[in-house]
Amino acid sequence: MSATGVAPEVMPELDPVIHAQARLRVTVALAALAAGDQITFPRLQQLLEMSAGNLSTHLRKLEDAGYVQLTKTHQRRTPVTYISLTRAGRRALEDYTVALRMLLTPPTEQPGG
Amino acid sequence: MTDRNTEATGHDDPLSAGESLALIERQHQQAQRGLEPNVVLFFGPWGVAYLLGFGAIFLTYPTALPIRLAGWAAAVVTAVLFASAVVITAVTGARAGRGLRGPSQAAGIMYGWSWTLGFSALTAVNLGVTRLGLPDEAVTLLWSGSSLLLVGVLYLGGGALFQDRFQYGLGVWMLVSGACSVFAGVPGNFAVVALAGGGGLLLTAGYFVLRQCRPAVAA
Repeated sequence: MSATGVAPEVMPELDPVIHAQARLRVTVALAALAAGDQITFPRLQQLLEMSAGNLSTHLRKLEDAGYVQLTKTHQRRTPVTYISLTRAGRRALEDYTVALRMLLTPPTEQPGG
Repeated sequence: MTDRNTEATGHDDPLSAGESLALIERQHQQAQRGLEPNVVLFFGPWGVAYLLGFGAIFLTYPTALPIRLAGWAAAVVTAVLFASAVVITAVTGARAGRGLRGPSQAAGIMYGWSWTLGFSALTAVNLGVTRLGLPDEAVTLLWSGSSLLLVGVLYLGGGALFQDRFQYGLGVWMLVSGACSVFAGVPGNFAVVALAGGGGLLLTAGYFVLRQCRPAVAA
């Protein structure tokens, strides 16, 4: 498994927004929801076991990239923020995963390589 | 562990491709476990309630078995077990849906209500028919047969909705059990509901326990 030792420098095509542990975790957790489903901030925080500040920071970066949509609303007069992955966010995670797989198993003409 | 470090320091060290893939897989499974209700609790408590509750009612009749239960004792056991199953199912569903909204939530809530609505209508129909004057045995068989028929149909719907063939199979099994219970007569119908109905539910609960324990498939 020499491939696992690939240095970050040789992965220039990986999406820098997702290629950060915390944001990758947030994106993967949101991708576990069915398309169209939304999750509140506290439930997502509980799911990820992240601090509120840390999660907010990363959500803002994901929102800036257009990967995450934040919907602010009220429930029984309490403000609630619902979070969901956008279509672009879901696509970005798919592309990122494909890119990782390609890095681990580079296409080769040699059989069994 | 690396994600914990990130949490502590608030800064991200880039991961290698292999580490990233492993993180995706781990996080995906953790998220699914955290989002999905524990389905074992949707079937297990009902299996126990059917087996012991209807089993107790069966034992209030003179049977070949050496045990004979008092009617009130069986009624108490059955009421407590079914009330517990209702509470466990409702709490499990509500907990899983906390902080979520969207099409999946709406579908789940509608499905949950279809049980309440279905059994309310079934009660009304059976009481209405009973009012016309039916022999006691017919009333008993009407309840066991129609209840299992409705339960079976709702599991067929649940299997279709949640794309779960095992649950769909349980629905078929409950339909067959319901029909058999009527032909078994009284008190055989209670034995059929307890053993076949309760057994099917417990088998389904066991299936979901095994599925939860199944080791994660690596990406």
